[in-house]
Amino acid sequence: MRRSMVWCLAATLAAAGCGVGGEKPSETSASGGDVTLTFLVFETPNLDAAFWDAAIARASAKVPGVTIKKLVSPNVDRTGYAKQLDASGNLPDILQSVNPAGFAQAGKLAPFTDEELRNFIAPKAGAIAGKVYQLPYNTQVIPVVYYNKDAFAKAGITGTPRTYPELLDVSAKLKDKGITPFVVGGGGADTWADMYPLTATVATDVYHKTPDWLTQRATGSVKFAGPDFTKAAQKVADLAQKGYIDPAGLSRSYADTEQAFRDGKGAMYPMGSWFATSADNTKPGFEIGAFPWPSDDGSPVTPTFTGGGTLVSSSAPNVGLAKKWALAFDEDKQNNDAFVKADGSIPAIKGYTPPSDMGPVYRATVDIYQKGMADGSIVNAFSQEAGDGSLPPGLADKAALGVQDLITGKKSAADFAAYLDDQWAKATR
Amino acid sequence: MTDIDHAALAASSAPMEQANSARANSAQANKAQTTRAATARAAAAPSGVRRPPAEPPRRRRPPAWRYRTGQSLGRFALFALPGLLAYVLFVLVPIGMTAYYSFTNRNPFNPPTRWVGLRNYADLLGDPEFHQALANTVVITVIVTLLANAGGLLIAMLLDRPTKLYLALRGVFFTPVVLSSVVISVIWQAVLTDEGLLNSVLRGLGVADPPGWLSDPEIALYSIAWILTWQMLGFCVVVYLAGLQGVPRELREAAAIDGCGPLARFRNVTWPMLAPALTINTVMLLITGFKAYDQIQVITNGGPGTGTTATMAFQVVQTAFTGNHIGYSSAMAAVMLALVGTVSVIVLRVLQRREVTR
Amino acid sequence: MIDARTHAWLRPLAATFAGAVFFLPLYLMLVNVFKPSTDIVPHPAAPPVPPTMENIGAVLSRPDSLFTYGLVNSVAVTALSITILTVLSAMLGHYLARSRHVLAKVVMVTLLCGLMIPVPVILAPITSVLKTLGLMTTLQGLILVNIGYYVPFGVLLFMGFVKGVPLELEEAAELDGASRLRVFWQVVFPLLRPASASVLIFLGVWIWNDFLTPLVILGPDSGTTVTVGVYRAIGQHQSDFGAVFAFMFLATLPILVFYLALQKNFVKGLTGGAVKG
Repeated sequence: MRRSMVWCLAATLAAAGCGVGGEKPSETSASGGDVTLTFLVFETPNLDAAFWDAAIARASAKVPGVTIKKLVSPNVDRTGYAKQLDASGNLPDILQSVNPAGFAQAGKLAPFTDEELRNFIAPKAGAIAGKVYQLPYNTQVIPVVYYNKDAFAKAGITGTPRTYPELLDVSAKLKDKGITPFVVGGGGADTWADMYPLTATVATDVYHKTPDWLTQRATGSVKFAGPDFTKAAQKVADLAQKGYIDPAGLSRSYADTEQAFRDGKGAMYPMGSWFATSADNTKPGFEIGAFPWPSDDGSPVTPTFTGGGTLVSSSAPNVGLAKKWALAFDEDKQNNDAFVKADGSIPAIKGYTPPSDMGPVYRATVDIYQKGMADGSIVNAFSQEAGDGSLPPGLADKAALGVQDLITGKKSAADFAAYLDDQWAKATR
Repeated sequence: MTDIDHAALAASSAPMEQANSARANSAQANKAQTTRAATARAAAAPSGVRRPPAEPPRRRRPPAWRYRTGQSLGRFALFALPGLLAYVLFVLVPIGMTAYYSFTNRNPFNPPTRWVGLRNYADLLGDPEFHQALANTVVITVIVTLLANAGGLLIAMLLDRPTKLYLALRGVFFTPVVLSSVVISVIWQAVLTDEGLLNSVLRGLGVADPPGWLSDPEIALYSIAWILTWQMLGFCVVVYLAGLQGVPRELREAAAIDGCGPLARFRNVTWPMLAPALTINTVMLLITGFKAYDQIQVITNGGPGTGTTATMAFQVVQTAFTGNHIGYSSAMAAVMLALVGTVSVIVLRVLQRREVTR
Repeated sequence: MIDARTHAWLRPLAATFAGAVFFLPLYLMLVNVFKPSTDIVPHPAAPPVPPTMENIGAVLSRPDSLFTYGLVNSVAVTALSITILTVLSAMLGHYLARSRHVLAKVVMVTLLCGLMIPVPVILAPITSVLKTLGLMTTLQGLILVNIGYYVPFGVLLFMGFVKGVPLELEEAAELDGASRLRVFWQVVFPLLRPASASVLIFLGVWIWNDFLTPLVILGPDSGTTVTVGVYRAIGQHQSDFGAVFAFMFLATLPILVFYLALQKNFVKGLTGGAVKG
């Protein structure tokens, strides 16, 4: 026993001396540069390892003197992972699509100057105390209602609903035919995936009237328990209560939810605009259409989120170069094409035009966004906001859990609103 | 004199030692541990080992090292210090830091950190989320402890035969113990989602509206408890089997001759002999229940709904990492530690007493 | 005796049935490892005919070598941790079992408390300690944390065993002039073999399967362990169950083999080494 132990020790000590897999920098470091920067990314079925490696290589080619070491978040919750890394003193130098809330206030991120942001359409998006920490590289419409044209035809529905009563009407017709009107997810660790109907009703019933409602909530001049927000929550509760939203979705992960829509388990799928390319790339057995979530009187409301790009740590070995690299990464035409094709983003870079071969669902989605720009109906997307006038840390998760109660009927709209007020108080204590 | 000491004893060698002493003392199965016969000890040593020289007179003499302080210090440094040092550094110091943080408003994203006294603890008293996490943890722990103990005993009795079939089945039941919680969570998620395997079977059997095992807030907590039970069942089976094998056949036969039915035989002969096995299992299951975190993180994220499956460990991590409230989460952790410590000492005391007196 | 005969067919039947039901979830994972991903969603429970090695091949030939690097790290961390843990906790357990000092009791209680603490609860301060020692994001740091955290369990098991070793043995050896350390190594430790097997198996399984500690301590740039790899594969592939199950299968295989190799000793370890035969 003792001898085998000694062997064990000897054999493994050698291995432990140098951990495997970390020491060698990512294959993508094309130029043997002067400074090595770590870059935190996350992998999804669309944004896989090959995608990131290629995108990193293109940016590195434009910024000589930088070697990028790619770090991969263990799951899509890269913000949570960045917090863990930060807590242990290892905040990466460059971060992709991490929510800057908290990091920025604590001085852990480097702000971008107006000059650096000159190529962005919305250079002030997501500003925190007037400063932009995250490149506002793309816009997402959250949500768009994607629908199954076959199911609509089967239920004898000819046009898309333009007012909320029409939406209820459509839902009733679908339900009569035995088709679940809405696919809503939020199971497993993907609780956030249940937010989209509420994000829509908050846009039409709260933000449409009071665009800076959340900022007012921060100062305390409005409450979730007030009539507007409660009405928005009531709409979601009613949809569930009438059986238009199947509570079965609460056990579906995000990927399963998308699959459920593809499998025809529901006719309408309120989801962020990133679903568009996924729908185009892997076509289900039916045609998919898109329409914006309607308001009561049919006046247009387009909830969007602009931002989501790259961030730079203020403690990076060379902040200037890191920022330069981040800008190169986000502004690169090919990178944006790749983001568009893989993740359905709508780049918010001046002079950018998406590739001409994009599919019909993506084009329908961009149409909705451009119409919103044209008629000035753009509002924030509730719980997706970043920067000033966004939810305090942790509250978006609590809201998503609360929505589950709203859907199962465990909480009334009033309960839900009161719950959010409580949670707000707790989070900002 | 604490019972902890006995716990250590019970947690390992006790079942067989007792079996041996039982053999030696016939029907008087459980003699007090402190007077356990030296013969039993000798018998407990594996065969093929050098036997001690038969020099009983020296037994009472205290070991030499206890006379010389210098030597005893050296012994301490050699035998105890390395292990203790690691424990102090990576468990006690962190606990101390947690205790300290619990009196502050520490939030890495909202400096500076200030001393707030007992405010965090006062807030905990009125925090329904924490109360629910506490209740959930208790429910999970109680279910897992009872169910895995009962099921483990039942299956152990079923498998208490030395043929190949039963040995193979033993392996089957033990496999989940070897798997990681993440793997188990993913497997069970695939089984229990609304369109999962279980519900498709149920639908095939004609159940029109099978339950939402993970989506119904009334059921989800029990599903989690079930998964933990499944994971730990094999452990209990193996420990009970070991215990059962220590029940001398003669004892059971003697009882049968005395006219005891199978039930009475179990109650009067087998069950008391399994007391040490029960202690090991209960302690392990309590630990598992109180620690429940991975499964919740992977399968439900504390949902469906607000906090329906959030356990204390989950709540602590959420508060610390998602909400950034390190101070507050530390207070939760401190309460949790105090609670867990108290419960385990009480349970050990009760179980140990049973081992000694029955 | 009569009832024993009437029940003769009942036992194997009941045992097999219980085993089969219990095994179903594992079966679900096992068959899907060897099925093309496209078959998994429509027929999750169907047997894999013909079996495909596609999923396993895909995991082994990943361009980022997530599995192979993870495997090397996991083996290194687990082997070193449990070896050192067995030695340290055997010595500490022996010391505590033989000591009559009040302090030994206090130490025992403190160790037992450590057994009940979930790692996530103290993980943040642990990282602060590691940072102070300059061991953050190193395998050495992870191994040290494992040792500190699991030492109570080892001590618990060993203490009971040491009490079963006759004191006379040690005293006799000492009279022969052997040093304390030699007595421990050559007389006591071999006697503790079954307990060592239990400690090795349990801690091996736990450390191998641990995912939060290596995730946080190793960080993203010092490689990863296979269990963290499983977690990452889930995020990446999401509903591609074939890839996820194959990764899980491969990650579990080494620890399963390890368990099977030590299994016989392990049962003895739990039962104090007195099982007949």
